[in-house]
Amino acid sequence: MQLSVNDELHDLDDAAVDPAMPLLWVLRDVLNLTGTKFGCGVAACGACTVLVDGAALRSCVTPLAAVAGKRVTTIEALGTTTRPHPLQTAWIAHQVPQCGYCQSGMLMAAAALLATHPVPTDADIEAAVTNLCRCGTYPRIRAAIHSAATAMRSVGPGGARG
Amino acid sequence: MRRRTLLLGGLSGLGGAAALVVGWGVLPPRSRLGQADTLPIEQGTVGLNGWIAIGDDGGAILAMNRSEMGQGVHTALAMLVAEELDLPLARVRLVQAEPDRLYGNVAMFVDSLPFHPRDTEPGQQTLAMRASEWVVSKLARELGINATGGSSSVVDAWDVLRLAAATARAQLLGAASLAWHLPVDELQVEHGVIAHLSGPRGHYGLFARAAAALPPGDVHLKPASARTLIGTSAPRIDLPGKVDGSARFGADVRLPEQCFAVVRHGPVLGAGIGTVDAGETLRLAGVERVVRLGSYGGSSPAVAVVGRSYWHALRGARALQVDWQAPPTGTPSSAAIEAALQAAVSGTAGGTAGAASAASAASGSDRGKVFYDIGDPAGVMARDRPGTRLVEQRYRAPYLAHAAMEPINCTARVAAGRVDVWVPTQVPGAARALAARVAGVAEDAVTVHLTLLGGGFGRRLEVDVVGQAVRIALETGGRPVQLTWPREEDITHDFYRPAAAALMQARVDADGLPLAWRLTSAGDAITPRWIERALPALTAPIDTPDKTTSEGLFDQPYRVPHQRVAHVATRSGVPVGYWRSVGHSYNAFFLECFVDELAGEAQRDPVAYRLALLQGAPRHAAVLRLAAEKAGWPGFGAAAPLPLPLPNGTARGVALHESFGSIVAQVVEVQLGSDGRPRVRRVVAAADIGTVVNPGIVAQQIESGVVDGLSAALHGRIDIVDGAVQQTNFPNHPILTLAETPVIETYLVASSLPPGGVGEIGTPPIAPAVANALFVLTGQRVRALPLVV
Repeated sequence: MQLSVNDELHDLDDAAVDPAMPLLWVLRDVLNLTGTKFGCGVAACGACTVLVDGAALRSCVTPLAAVAGKRVTTIEALGTTTRPHPLQTAWIAHQVPQCGYCQSGMLMAAAALLATHPVPTDADIEAAVTNLCRCGTYPRIRAAIHSAATAMRSVGPGGARG
Repeated sequence: MRRRTLLLGGLSGLGGAAALVVGWGVLPPRSRLGQADTLPIEQGTVGLNGWIAIGDDGGAILAMNRSEMGQGVHTALAMLVAEELDLPLARVRLVQAEPDRLYGNVAMFVDSLPFHPRDTEPGQQTLAMRASEWVVSKLARELGINATGGSSSVVDAWDVLRLAAATARAQLLGAASLAWHLPVDELQVEHGVIAHLSGPRGHYGLFARAAAALPPGDVHLKPASARTLIGTSAPRIDLPGKVDGSARFGADVRLPEQCFAVVRHGPVLGAGIGTVDAGETLRLAGVERVVRLGSYGGSSPAVAVVGRSYWHALRGARALQVDWQAPPTGTPSSAAIEAALQAAVSGTAGGTAGAASAASAASGSDRGKVFYDIGDPAGVMARDRPGTRLVEQRYRAPYLAHAAMEPINCTARVAAGRVDVWVPTQVPGAARALAARVAGVAEDAVTVHLTLLGGGFGRRLEVDVVGQAVRIALETGGRPVQLTWPREEDITHDFYRPAAAALMQARVDADGLPLAWRLTSAGDAITPRWIERALPALTAPIDTPDKTTSEGLFDQPYRVPHQRVAHVATRSGVPVGYWRSVGHSYNAFFLECFVDELAGEAQRDPVAYRLALLQGAPRHAAVLRLAAEKAGWPGFGAAAPLPLPLPNGTARGVALHESFGSIVAQVVEVQLGSDGRPRVRRVVAAADIGTVVNPGIVAQQIESGVVDGLSAALHGRIDIVDGAVQQTNFPNHPILTLAETPVIETYLVASSLPPGGVGEIGTPPIAPAVANALFVLTGQRVRALPLVV
């Protein structure tokens, strides 16, 4: 079976995977992409959030078969060191993470939100970012999403992130 | 070992030892500088003492002896070193400290002594107290228990790391002075480059070898006025990896040939294992083997399934047929335990809450270990003088789970007589000791690789998962195995914050101020149980009094001339452990709700009432005033009226609490939602934490403590029925969401006192502040957690 992750096509060893195997474990335990996290296994916490064809999905309940032929994007490809995503820049500016474990999922959920809501209200944020955090980073997440949205709007047509 | 145990147990009767004490109450920092040979050996670095080495490039390497679980300790401790070395923060690199007692935590153990903070201020201590502190700090240094917890990392490191860095700096300057034949006090350092006005310059790396051979000479710590880094909100050094997915938690360890394991514990706490039918499991693709596990570090027995991925192992675990057996310790139920706790605080045999009466006030609750006893509380409570009144209320708090976002996990490999363990832990030394025991090797054959922690909150003070993982690793032919607990196992087999109850009794005068109070709490003592699990060599033959049971009640600043504060330690049979802020997590609710009730009965504004009780406690009064001012509290002079809801249906509540050497006041603004449930809109927190190392990190921790405490206040409960924990995963164990999170503002008092603790202090005040606001909104006092209107 083949799987496209971060614009790279992977040939998955049939013995290592199963069509029913949640995408999360293919990413973490087969492809060793450990940026996407396991938090609950029942899609309640969002630590496993990835983008599939640009939309946020909780990968712990998404079977491998459901993402065949689709583009999976994980935190590792949200930005690069030289060109971080504006959310990543805002996350540092607002010193958002504490333990950091939930943050990959938070960032992916926020990225999906900004792709469809470039001027999100607090209510939009609350509806889209239902990920759980035990360290209390929520107020800074709200502020950082607003900052990133502003930064993305202020970039001209040639420089906006796709 | 037995002598040490008896010494710890006998601290309360320390008269004879007082004669031995000369000088200080705690150890001089210089005695904890250590030798360079405890540093890991690295090419191109020169160790100058037990903490600091200098690299070829002139940067510093710091032996990091504390676990980063989100509290910012890596950054804060690196800042102490960067400051005294005059190096940019980015030039301080961290390496995991070796397992040496040099890196043990002294402050955390000194803080476990049951003394009132007012009595331990310099000049206030009795000789017996100073002797106790000296003995405990010396013992703590000798035992060298490396633990991250108790909001103690900066407190413990403050003098030691600054002195280690200043000493290294003095040696480096001495070496430069000798090399250049120039007086040392004419040399300057900027960004780790030593220079003289006449021209010579060189970075630290050029002088490190010579410096290591020099005695330090005159060592001076920078005065506060000269600091350029400490006191600034330097960006945290661990954040870049946490926003790009590269940060490696325990669960992210990936080693060649690694296999994955999952455990299943029984349906009730402590259930034993009879027969295991693994037939179906072993037929499933990707399953390697099944391993029966006993109890390690207090865990319930379990069955582990090893497979090629977490999912394969989980699928296998779900297919196991296990004949679980009744636990030898019984099957407790939280409802019965809570009733028993009410009886315990009353000193009655019955279990009904209605047992409170004038008779009980008079003879009163004389149960429990007394942690604070001043004046004549029994006499004043019993004497029904005209103009005085008795006030009595009961409070309770439930069991709580930790539910850190990173699941419980440990990776272990046993090969060629060596054991390697990769684990997110707050206690690497205890992890090492248990790993050695389970594998049957000496401790120096074990290496613990400390990872980042996806939250600790006290759960990772336990080493149960280490024992389990090493036991499994004995079966995997030298291959590393990563054990991860499913979330359900975490929530149903935790070491819970104990359920607690309190009977609060006061005799108030004509102005409604307490002349006397008798505060009796009840609940399990954690420390003797934790020692049994994590430091078994220190297990005492009987439980010694655990200060954490009464902290938050006996150690608060209110001036009440007659007090009896006691705790009845119970043994419920439920596994209990440290949960963020420990005893403060329930006692602050009990006390700050009771004080608020007394204010209400006295028809006094809650802030003004508290200020009236803070005579002689100016720091606490200042913190309370700061929070009230910033929150726009309408007025808290002596004649201030009772608070009313604001026109938009918001009410304010207040709480003040001292914990871990710091003082916090919180004012909350609460509304009732259309569903009748409380919605907290704003929290204004003021704190006096002594010297502030990094205000940005402190604000983060206050926010963190508030959200944690608010989550518990609104949602936190663990129900146990016949030994079975009813909550299993986030859907039926809700935690606070972003949508429920208030605006949180933090204001810090400027101080030159040494730093107090920060990690846990935001948690205790929030639940009572919200309960006190709810009273203004509804006219009802809520005296139980979680808050239900």
